[in-house]
Formats: sequence, structure tokens, C-alpha cells
Amino acid sequence: MAILLLILISVLIAGLAVFILWTIFIYNQLVSLRNEVQNAWKQIDVQLKRRHDLIPNLVSIVKGAMEFEQDTLEKVVSARTRAVAATKPQEKAAAENMLTQALGKLFAVVESYPQLKSNENIMQLQEELTTTENRIGFARQLYNDLVANFRTKLEIFPNNIIASLFSFQREEYYSAAEADKAVPAADISIRKT
Amino acid sequence: MPLTFIEIEKQKNWRIGLLFIVLLFLYFCVTLALIQGFYFVFLNPVFLLRGINWAYLLIIMAFSFMFATIHFLFSAVGAVGSVMRHLGATLPDPEDGIHKRLMNIMDEIHVVTGNKRNIKCMVIPSLSMNALAVADLNGEAAVMITEGLLSRLTRDQLEAVMAHEAYHILSGDCLETTVAASFFGMYASMLEKIKDLGEENGRGFHPAFLFFRILLKLSQILNMFISREREYRADAASVRMTRNPLSMAEALHLISRNWTGVGFIGNGLEMLCIVSPQAAALDESEGWWADLMSTHPPIRKRMGILLNMASTNIAELDAKLNQKTETTNMQRSAEPVYYALDPKQQWQGPFSIADLSSLPWLSPLTWIKSGSEQAIERAWRNPLIDPIFIASLSRQESEISDFVCPHCNQPLIKISYEKTRAYQCRFCSGILVGTDKIPRIIARREVPCTDRLKSLAKAVLSDNQRKTTINKLRGIDAKTKSFLPCPKCKHAMFRTFYSSAYLVEIDRCGICGLAWFDADELEILQCLIENKITLRVGISPA
Repeated sequence: MAILLLILISVLIAGLAVFILWTIFIYNQLVSLRNEVQNAWKQIDVQLKRRHDLIPNLVSIVKGAMEFEQDTLEKVVSARTRAVAATKPQEKAAAENMLTQALGKLFAVVESYPQLKSNENIMQLQEELTTTENRIGFARQLYNDLVANFRTKLEIFPNNIIASLFSFQREEYYSAAEADKAVPAADISIRKT
Repeated sequence: MPLTFIEIEKQKNWRIGLLFIVLLFLYFCVTLALIQGFYFVFLNPVFLLRGINWAYLLIIMAFSFMFATIHFLFSAVGAVGSVMRHLGATLPDPEDGIHKRLMNIMDEIHVVTGNKRNIKCMVIPSLSMNALAVADLNGEAAVMITEGLLSRLTRDQLEAVMAHEAYHILSGDCLETTVAASFFGMYASMLEKIKDLGEENGRGFHPAFLFFRILLKLSQILNMFISREREYRADAASVRMTRNPLSMAEALHLISRNWTGVGFIGNGLEMLCIVSPQAAALDESEGWWADLMSTHPPIRKRMGILLNMASTNIAELDAKLNQKTETTNMQRSAEPVYYALDPKQQWQGPFSIADLSSLPWLSPLTWIKSGSEQAIERAWRNPLIDPIFIASLSRQESEISDFVCPHCNQPLIKISYEKTRAYQCRFCSGILVGTDKIPRIIARREVPCTDRLKSLAKAVLSDNQRKTTINKLRGIDAKTKSFLPCPKCKHAMFRTFYSSAYLVEIDRCGICGLAWFDADELEILQCLIENKITLRVGISPA
């Protein structure tokens, strides 16, 4: 009887130990995934900052040659100012989308200026902007992939028990604005997300 | 229903994992078969009949594993450096537009992979179309791409190729390939030795090693099968990263139509390449035999999977690419072509106007021959080519004047020479100055008199002295000979020596009071006067 009790206690202790280890494992996994998601979100900001820094150069190069397109240039400049000043995430997303559209229009206009199209500085800057837009797109894509992964880990059984025990929250997807979903009118080699 | 890239990746992941475990198991079987072969030949032929001694087997396996690990460590440490040296690969040049694009794309790949590993990009100086990924135990990893592939792919296609290669590194494919090569490479060379020994002795291949030979062949086949699975998986991962299956398919299509580097990218590296550089007919065949005996899956099969993801098919892609090629060819055939005489006096071409504008040695004085005509003319005389020079001048930040170069017929730009206003031709380097400003230029000494100028000055002086003497003896006066049009009034200038002491010819316009110096003439004159270089031999002009 005493041996049976001893075995039972041992099994219970072993079971408890496995449960604790499993909880620690799941908890650590969720924490590292959450940190990865947060890091991916910050990476989007890094790329957006890069875009903001490039715009003054672009404007200074094209403004001399685009006398009749001051309106397009002004839109880019004001969209940039709004994007830099925005603090709330929703405000920021709206401003960035506006900036993407303004840049798209600017490059569509550049296409119609042969002296600008063949300008080496413009070509270099266009490549820099293309790579920046791609990086922004890729950073958002990575963020969404990680969010999807995090959500799956959070919602599957039995992880959801640990998640609710330690109050893990679902992260939100980055969703493209409706305007961005439209097919761009001119091919300006800038990725849309 | 075609598979998505996520499904393909999942399917290949478990298949590759499982097969790699089987491959490692086969390694032990091969080792055992080899030891048994030796035992059978040299020691005790009835060993096999006595049953299996587990302790003995474990010792053999431990030793063989140790040898293989040492071999792996030696091959995997510094692998990036040795492949780089072998192929002559270098880091991209940030000044070069195409190389800069490659660097940007590599950074984009770092972003999309969450900066998990620092991967270098390198350029192989070859016209072939291929790319490969290498990683080593020093923590180095590099994607190497040939100049040929780099120049022919569009940005999206290049991105797809780089993502494919980067995935080989991130998934550990490169290290796995090195592990397999280390484990089985030793045995393959051992098998060759056994075969050679048998042939030398005239006994042929010893049957005791037959099992070893069969198992080794089996492991090689399995290794190739894993390599093919890896290619499918890397294609799928490339689509996951770029979300662009069409560009990956287009890149493969383009690569398959060109030289993939056979003879340049050697054996042993073929598994690391995006397509096999060996260009064997088997690579593009389908069926179980071809599937077993090639390192890469057929390109058409890979393209088929990718195009399914893009909801299109190979026939449509072929039609699209052929149409694009035809349009390009039509545009090219409609454009006039030219041949140009290079600085080494060799005719080069054919060039379109766009090609000509990118030639670094093209100047208005370059001789040009049109493709359809045999007449030769200076580049500036051709109305289609002349705008190239105007465009290149307008790109420079210098101020353009109203004067025109008498040689090149291009506007002169304003410069400051010895702190005096002068006008220079950007193409032939000739200089225009007011005759009244020549003394002050000569008096100033900011432009250095180099050794080259000194020797040039002596040669010019000697030559002009000789010509003067001959003219004097013949009674010819060089002063009256008209030569070039004035850069301002277009009247003919007269060519004369600067002075009888310093025999350097210059062109002067008597109407405008301007003097034209060809390239180096002004510097030579300054050098002669500054260093008091005069000729001591020869007949006196008087």
C-alpha cells in the first residue's frame, strides 16, 4: 500500500514537473514571438524614417526642372511633413499612405520629363526610393507573417490556456489602405503593400 | 489544385529532414560495408558467418564518424573564401549602378528575413548566367552571382534569384551539402583507388567491395534526390519572401536559354548553383532515371510549379517573352547603327545611339561610319550623334559660353586658368584666351610644369625649329596659312609661332583678338618660358 502511494506521489510529482517545464517552455516561446513581432513593427519605422530622409533630396533635384508641376511637389512635401509629425498609429498609417500616393504621382510625372529621366542623380535617387519602398513593403510583410505565427501559437490548444493565464494579447495585422489596393496607373517600379 | 508555396515548403521540409537522416544512416552502412570488404580480403573471410559483434561495430562507427567530422571541419571552415578565390568573385562596386542595385536587393532580403543572418553579395566576373550560395563554419555566408546574370535580369527577377539563394543559406542547405560531400567524398575517392588497384593487378574489381560500391552509389543517388528537393523548396521560399512567382519563373526561363557556366563553375559546386552548370541533357529530361541522376530538377518542371502559383502556364510565358524579344528586335532593327574608331585605331561596333552615348572614349572628333553607308565622318558632323555631346555638357555643372571649339564644334565652357578667365573645350582640352591675357598667364606659375610637359616641350621645340628652317630655306611664310575658324567670329584664324624665341604654334584671330591653344600648347609655352628651354643646335632663323 505504502509502495503504491509512493509510486502515485512520484507520478504526481513527475507530472507536475513536466507540467511546469511545459508551461515554462510555452511561456518563453510566446514571449520570444511577441518580442519578434514588436521588433518587426519597429523595423517598419526604421524604413519609414529612411524614406522621409530621402524626400528632401528628391525635391531639391527635381524642382528646377519641374516648373509646371509645383502642385505635385508641394503635395509630396506636405505629405512628408504630415508623416513625420504623426504620432498616433492610425494617423501615421494614413499619412504614410498619402505619402506613398504622392510619390507615385511624382514619379509618374518624372517619366514625362526626358531630361529628368536621363539625369544620373534622379536615376540614383529613384533606385534609392525603389529600394526603400521595397524595404517598407518587406518589413510590413515580415510583421504580418510574424503576427500570423504569433496568433496561431496563441490560439492553439493548449497554448491558449497559458496565454490567458499570463494575459498575452493578440497583435493586430498591418492592413493596407483601400487606395493602396488599387492597381497603380503608371509603372514606377515601387512596390505597393 | 496547385500547391501553394507554404504547402510546398512544409512538404519538402519533412521530406528533406527524413531523407537526410536516411543519408546519415547510409553513411554508417557504407562504412561497415567497406570495413567488411577489407576484412574479407585481408583477414578473416568467415567473419560474416560468426554473427554481429556490436562493440566492434560501435568502435568502427565512432572512428568513421570522427574522421568524417574532421574532414567536414576542414572543408567547412573558410569555404566562402576558397570558393571566392576559385571563382575570382569580388564585392560589388558601389559606384556601379547595377552593382548598387544588387547591394540594395541584398539589404531588402535582409529585411524580409528579419536580419537573421548577415549574408554578403558578391559578383563573379563571368558572362555565364548562374548564381550560387556558400556558407562556412566561420559564420561567413555569401551569395555569388555572375556579371552575365546580373546584367540581364530585371530588378524583380534578380530579387527572386537572390531570395532563392539566401534561403539556401538560412535553411542550412549549404552546410548540409558540405556535410554530405565530406562524408561521402572520401569514400568515393577510396572506391576509385580500389578500382585502379584491381585494374593494375589485372584482377579487376574485387567482389568483396561490391556491397560497398552499391551502397555508395545509393547514397550518391539519395544525395542528388535531396539536392533536387532543396531546389523546389528554395523556389517556394523565394516566392514566400518576394510574393512574386512570375519573376522567379521568368528568371529560370532566361537562365535556361543561356550559358550556365560549364567549365567555369567546376564540379563540387554544382549543387550550390541555381541551375546546374554542367548543362547535361539529363538535367532537362523527365522520368525516374533523370530524376535519380541529376542534381537539379528540370527547369520546365520548376517553372511549371511557379507558374501554377501565378495562375498562368509555360505556353503563355513563352508567348509573352517571345513577343517582348520580337518588339526589342524590331526596335533595334529600326534604329540606325554606327561603327566608331576607338583610340587604338580599331573599328568598334555596331552601336546604337544609346550605346554610343555610353562609350567613355567617344568625342566629337571620333571617326564614325554609318552601318548602311560607307562614308566616314567626324562624330560632331552627324546630326543624330551631335546631341550626345550637348547633353553631356548640360549634365556638367560648368557654365557654357557662346564660343565654339574650332575642332569639335561644341560650346566652350568657362574656366579660370591661372586665375584668369579662359574658355576650354571639354572634349579636346583646347583653350581660348584673349591675346592680351597671354603675358599675365605666362607670368603666373600655378600650373605645374611636369616632366611630361618638359619632354613634350623639348620635342615640340625641336620639331618646330626643323620645320622653320626648311620653310625659311624654301621661302615659305607659315603666318599666311589659314587654318581654323575663330571660336567667336568664325573667320579663319592664322597660325603662327608665339614668338621667334619660343616656337610654339598658336592660332590667332586678328579681328576678335583671341588666341586658340590646342591641348597642352598653353602649358608647353608656359613650361618653355618658365624653364628657359631653348634649342642650342640648328640653323639660326636669321
